[in-house]
Amino acid sequence: MGSLRLDEVQALLVGAVMHPAQLDADAAPPASALLRPSARGMTRASRLEVYREQFWIRHLASLTEDFSTLRWVVGERAFDELLRGYLQAYPPRGWNLQRLGADVPEFVASSAPWSADPLAGDAALLDWAFMEVFDAPDAPPLDLRVVAAAPPDAWPQARIAFLPALRRVVTGHAVHELRAAVKKGEECQRPLAAPTHAVVWRDAACFLHAVAVDPVAGELMRALLDGTRLGEACASVAAAHPAVDAETFDANVGQWFQQWTANGWVCAVDI
Amino acid sequence: MGYRQRHAIPDLGVGVGLRTPHVAHVLRDGPPMDWFEIISENYFADGGIQRANLERAAAAYRLIPHGVSLSIGGTDPIDPGYLARLRALVSRVRAPWCSDHLCWTGSGKVDVHDLLPLPYNPETLSHVIDRVRRVQDELQVPFALENASSYMEFEASTMPEHEFLAELSERADCGILLDVNNVFVSAYNHGFDAEAYVDAIPADRVLQIHLAGHTHKGLYLLDTHSDHVRPEVLDLYRRALRRCGSVSTLVEWDESIPSWDVLSGEAAVARSVRDEVLGATSKEAAWGASA
Ligand SMILES: [Fe+2]
Repeated sequence: MGSLRLDEVQALLVGAVMHPAQLDADAAPPASALLRPSARGMTRASRLEVYREQFWIRHLASLTEDFSTLRWVVGERAFDELLRGYLQAYPPRGWNLQRLGADVPEFVASSAPWSADPLAGDAALLDWAFMEVFDAPDAPPLDLRVVAAAPPDAWPQARIAFLPALRRVVTGHAVHELRAAVKKGEECQRPLAAPTHAVVWRDAACFLHAVAVDPVAGELMRALLDGTRLGEACASVAAAHPAVDAETFDANVGQWFQQWTANGWVCAVDI
Repeated sequence: MGYRQRHAIPDLGVGVGLRTPHVAHVLRDGPPMDWFEIISENYFADGGIQRANLERAAAAYRLIPHGVSLSIGGTDPIDPGYLARLRALVSRVRAPWCSDHLCWTGSGKVDVHDLLPLPYNPETLSHVIDRVRRVQDELQVPFALENASSYMEFEASTMPEHEFLAELSERADCGILLDVNNVFVSAYNHGFDAEAYVDAIPADRVLQIHLAGHTHKGLYLLDTHSDHVRPEVLDLYRRALRRCGSVSTLVEWDESIPSWDVLSGEAAVARSVRDEVLGATSKEAAWGASA
């Protein structure tokens, strides 16, 4: 083992440190041959075990903090199993522990047995949206003079920019209400299925919020978030809802826009 | 001329790590504290509460960034995005230096977020020297490496850690963050002489000293930062101060974080040890530098 290059040594050690089960003299990984036993009688494997144990403690604790709704949904014991499976499927990458759970929604949606519970998938999506808005870039507030000065016929060409710290989350349950209750430590019940468009955002004072929005308003936000101009976005969403007459639709858009600006969601209007 | 003098490194006195449970009190009430150390990576984001708090804390206190993820001993390329964020943070808080650990944190793009020890031999030494030089060129402020606590040693090591660290700092021309608790912990775990370690560190390169508590696990000590500094570690601190002179000191407390009063009391203990060893020399005065 003395002739290994440093990168080979480190690759072996990373494998041992991430090993899912306890290391001891009977289950000594190849990496242990790189080490000396301790002067105080620790075996090579038990010295590696110190690092392995800390690897799991650290990353499980970090994800547990990040996914409180998901934890409630699957239950504490199963949650531990879920996280261990996740960390094996998606080993930590990069310095940023805040991003450790980036693939949890994907993992829950695609791995049995978690994928069988749609509420678990919804909880993972919502919890991750909260993580993303927590430290997304700041943005200056909307300059209302730009809005006031815009001639009415310019609006169809406008592009609406929402806060970088805002996410739209489309779920099959009102999981934002569940999260609020879990966070407050209230007695919770599994919510019934209820298609929900939620918006998660960070306000100017850095408080995080989630509210449900009208599903049609949610669709319009999606088009605008994709960079579609206001006129074109309205036309495509209106076409998908032929039961709503044009006058009502326009009135709704006006109302939604007022709500969005009142909530501080819109940070720029390119008009 | 010694490293500290050459770079006009100020002695900031005794500070503590700025941690979440105390942020509101610190920002609202501005309690007396010589300085704070901040975990660099916690302040890399372009927005959010951490960044907002950082601006306020930096306006009231001296902040020194201390990283945990540079992986100076790693074999994956140093992440240029990471270095750019670190440099931006250093300039945002106008830090006179910054630090990370003599360790590696991952391999093959996997990051285990731990401070893993290196085999101490001439090949590793050249590798780390090269990386320290590149980091320093990028940062443009003095950069110090801390001796980490460790729980394993390599068959491939041919020199003691203190010799590796001393030679690294001389040849790469960098600073040292001497964590005397880590010296104590590793000395216990590996059976070396902690006092000899402290005596072998180039005193003029020590920009900063760390103190912390650890946990006795029977066959080894674990560097938990979860308790008061042990009296034996304070003795080692006295020894380090006698060698290094007037150097900024930082108390780390990261788990089972106590009330502000207990934490600032721990800093006061370190301050009284400093006064006892150095006399009541005023901080900042040692090298005629200003904060
Ligand atoms: Fe330290």
